[in-house]
Amino acid sequence: MKHVRTTPVLSAIALACGMAVAAPSLAADTIRIAFGGPVTGPITQYGDMVKEGIYTAADVYNAAGGVNGKKIEVVEVDDACEPKQAPVAANRVIKDGIRFVVGHTCTGATVAAAPIYNNEGVVMVTPSATGPVLTDGKNYEFIFRTIGRDDQQGPAAVKFIVEKVQPKKVAVLHDKQSYGQGIAESVRDGLKAANLEPVIFEGINAGESDYSAVITKLKAAGVDFVYFGGYHPELGLLLRQGAEQGLKARFMSDEGAGNPDINAIAGDAVEGMLLTMPADFSTKPENAKVVEAFQAKGRNAGGAFQLSAYAATMAILESIKATGSEDPAKVAQYMHANSFATPIGEISWTPQGDLKSFDFVVYTWHKDGSKTIAEK
Amino acid sequence: MTDFFPLFIQQLFNGLSLGAIYALIAIGYTMVYGIIGMINFAHGEIYMVGAYVGLVALTAIGTQSGLPIWLIIAAMLALSVTVTGVYGYTVERIAYRPLRSSPRLVALISAIGMSIFLQNWVGLGQGTRDMAVPSLISGAYTLQMGESFEITIAWSRLMIIGVVLVLMIALTLFIQHSRMGRASRACSQDLQMAELLGINTDRVISFTFVLGAVLAAVGGVLIAITVGKLNPFIGFIAGIKAFTAAVLGGIGSIPGAMLGGVLLGVAETLAAGYISSEYKDIVAFGLLVLILLFRPTGLLGKPEVEKV
Amino acid sequence: MLAQLPRALIAAVFAFVILAPIFGLKLVRQGMHSALQPHWNIVLWGCAAVFVVQLLHPWLARLFARVRLPSVPALDEEHHLWAWAAVVLLAVVWPFFGGRSAVDIATLALIYVMLGLGLNIVVGFAGLLDLGFVGFYAVGAYTYGLLYYWAGWSFWECLPLAGAMAALFGFLLGFPVLRLRGDYLAIVTLGFGEIIRLLLTNLTDWTGGPDGISGIPSPTLFGLEMTRRASSPEGQTFHEFFDMPFNPDHMVIYLYLLALALALVTLLVSNRLLRMPIGRAWEALREDEIACRSLGLNPTRIKLSAFTLGAMFAGFGGAFFAARQGLVNPESFTFIESALILSVVVLGGMGSQVGVILAAVALTVLPEVVREFAEYRMLAFGFVMVLMMVWRPQGLLPMKRPQVDL
Repeated sequence: MKHVRTTPVLSAIALACGMAVAAPSLAADTIRIAFGGPVTGPITQYGDMVKEGIYTAADVYNAAGGVNGKKIEVVEVDDACEPKQAPVAANRVIKDGIRFVVGHTCTGATVAAAPIYNNEGVVMVTPSATGPVLTDGKNYEFIFRTIGRDDQQGPAAVKFIVEKVQPKKVAVLHDKQSYGQGIAESVRDGLKAANLEPVIFEGINAGESDYSAVITKLKAAGVDFVYFGGYHPELGLLLRQGAEQGLKARFMSDEGAGNPDINAIAGDAVEGMLLTMPADFSTKPENAKVVEAFQAKGRNAGGAFQLSAYAATMAILESIKATGSEDPAKVAQYMHANSFATPIGEISWTPQGDLKSFDFVVYTWHKDGSKTIAEK
Repeated sequence: MTDFFPLFIQQLFNGLSLGAIYALIAIGYTMVYGIIGMINFAHGEIYMVGAYVGLVALTAIGTQSGLPIWLIIAAMLALSVTVTGVYGYTVERIAYRPLRSSPRLVALISAIGMSIFLQNWVGLGQGTRDMAVPSLISGAYTLQMGESFEITIAWSRLMIIGVVLVLMIALTLFIQHSRMGRASRACSQDLQMAELLGINTDRVISFTFVLGAVLAAVGGVLIAITVGKLNPFIGFIAGIKAFTAAVLGGIGSIPGAMLGGVLLGVAETLAAGYISSEYKDIVAFGLLVLILLFRPTGLLGKPEVEKV
Repeated sequence: MLAQLPRALIAAVFAFVILAPIFGLKLVRQGMHSALQPHWNIVLWGCAAVFVVQLLHPWLARLFARVRLPSVPALDEEHHLWAWAAVVLLAVVWPFFGGRSAVDIATLALIYVMLGLGLNIVVGFAGLLDLGFVGFYAVGAYTYGLLYYWAGWSFWECLPLAGAMAALFGFLLGFPVLRLRGDYLAIVTLGFGEIIRLLLTNLTDWTGGPDGISGIPSPTLFGLEMTRRASSPEGQTFHEFFDMPFNPDHMVIYLYLLALALALVTLLVSNRLLRMPIGRAWEALREDEIACRSLGLNPTRIKLSAFTLGAMFAGFGGAFFAARQGLVNPESFTFIESALILSVVVLGGMGSQVGVILAAVALTVLPEVVREFAEYRMLAFGFVMVLMMVWRPQGLLPMKRPQVDL
């Protein structure tokens, strides 16, 4: 609002404010990319995974002389994974004149931040928010993701269960959070369609420590296969307490549970557990260099979101390079129009910003923390 | 349903072991409330600190040390109890003692601040990610009942119930017969009068905080061993549940806290088992509301005398 | 100083016990096992600091005794109105010149002002400890969310309804529980708050479960949308109407002004209520329930009115929150939110409206100011809360009641 025809004092204040806003862009001899996600709060580890990917990508590009002659700088913006804090974080990014965001990390926070970025013309690529609600029916121009949607992951699991495992009685559990419940519902619906209706479909409280009541229930119902939608801490406890009560059922879960910490929590009970995960790109020979770049800084490329965050950062930077401009509108246009060769494979986007295809692979998890492609 | 009875026994056992932990934490709430009439919201965090210290002790000893398991657990308990005792004392000194004469709500806010502080304090020191506790006691006693269902009594859960039972008896004896116990009972009857009669009330209050912290720490260590997962935020949920248990039993009454804890644990487990886990907290809080509607001062609480 | 030596030594030992297991021995993951990594430096420095501070304790105490906290100059009735007018004028004008993220934070602060003033009626005026206030806030937010989602209602149609719904909930829940006293009331309200949140999570078919409802439109200005493009072909946007280039700052400022207006309405209404017989009755009840009863006041009805009115303001706040955020989900309505609103009331000085406003602003801005410290942010927040209570137990600006000195 340019109403600066009031008193000189007010215009001086406005000028000062204008300069304060303009100052960062004057000093912009770097390309700044913001990381949006949890730096504080209970789920910082997912933020850490994303950060590792962004920082490694920035390091690799900087070592190669930057993009268009400019170095890449990563700025961290904390949203604590809370939808309440996400708009505040997004407005902070905009105030600082940053035009590219890799994040946010959790679906809820991302959904709250996305309209602000889109209105403001800031390119946001989330490497970890999988909820369909982020993009469905929104027609965003500036919002992308480099990860599969929950409703892509569910069918992959259903296919494997129906074709390979062929269990008699299935239970589907979830952690009553956006991510877990979304996948669990998708799996339940898929199983129903395949005439394998789950005998139990139930949510458990994330963050609690005693799930023995549910275990007893599973055992009493004679369940021989359990699908769990959610993250590794709860799955680990289910496995451990299941083993304790002698529950003889096979467990399957999603990529959010694919964290080495689950071995520490559940011990030997993890052996044979099935997981749908994005193909493990860190073992592919063509990614050896990228993985090396991760290891050089003591980071781990094998987690859930490191490589998707790397790919997100890479897509932005490649688009800046190709268009020769840091105009987010041009970058977004270029991203929509082209495909990118990234460590997670050749990626391109649908008009609403989802990946055109994203493959999930079913792995068997072992008690030494390794995983192999599941046969049956 | 031939399996109804064994299934019920199994769920009851699950509920008892959960309720025993609630009861341990609830005692800390109820004792503090009984004496100075404040809700110590940071109490759940003390439980969390206790669990962390237990894990540090266990890691320092190592699971492969060859020491007998009971000795390892005793060492974990000893260290945890010492450290949390100091925590309880310090928290009281810093955040509550200066507020002794202020309205109770002020102390409540101070406690909420302390609770946020302690969560982030441990988060900063030990990281916010989940830490796993290696399982020390595995195995279970199985009992075939009914046609196809067998009851599993895990040793670790049996240990919880055993330890809590012993502690409760010891605590009751202590409160009834020791000098300090008598003094603290006097303080909970009338703090000012107790002071006039020459009881060092500051010491009794400090002692109450230390004792509450010690019990919470035992709960923390036991749950860490059994459940095997910790993060700096576990204290919050456990704290709210335990507080609910304390009120359910009648806040200020130690037997009430024990009863409330066990009742809440069993109610939750049965609700999860027979209705749905999704509704177990609703059942727990619903039960609380119902009981308070019919007994406004909890199950074993003394009716408040209105003073004009 | 020598007299302080034993005391300082004990304090240092305590500091060691407190620091060593949390900061001195860090648990680190090595493969699937944990190991301990000693960091004794931090512990030793911490102990040394505690030792020195305790050693110099009497001296420091004398030093601090001389430092006096600035007190707010008292205004007489005449200047009061002018001061208010100036503050309101400033609040209306500054967003046009402030940065957008500052305005956004201010909007968040104003939501807490609204909630704080609402809870102030219950806790500050009527003296009822309510730990489930967030439940009514959720009812307001979901009223708008659900009516938009299922019936396509707009913000302005939903706003009065959100208040009414929350008030209804306050009335219905208050009815059975208000005969409970003190802390029993507190825990039952906490229970109700949790039950509302759990129902919102579990009734997936209606409320969207943990995802909640997203895509909730922002308020319009007399039918003009404040977006880049109108949502329907016949709709018109604000910038088209005034023939200006689209500027997203308009939306931020508009939301801020709306929040300001709602907060002012809350302030004025609760201020008037306090001077009405009902307000006097609240305060009388808070001070002495038995005396009230013997004077013929009906405690249940008085308590219920406070509870219902407080809930109503939470409902307005909730509807605005949903509109600002564009998203409602159960995560936003956890107990910690209730605790935060309660802190606003107590920190401000119970019953004092100016205090509540100050505290709401302080508690929202403080975490933003210390945002640079990332992981120390919430640590500092908790610590400051404790410090504030210890230093000013009566609150920032305790309520002064009109009195006559004889």
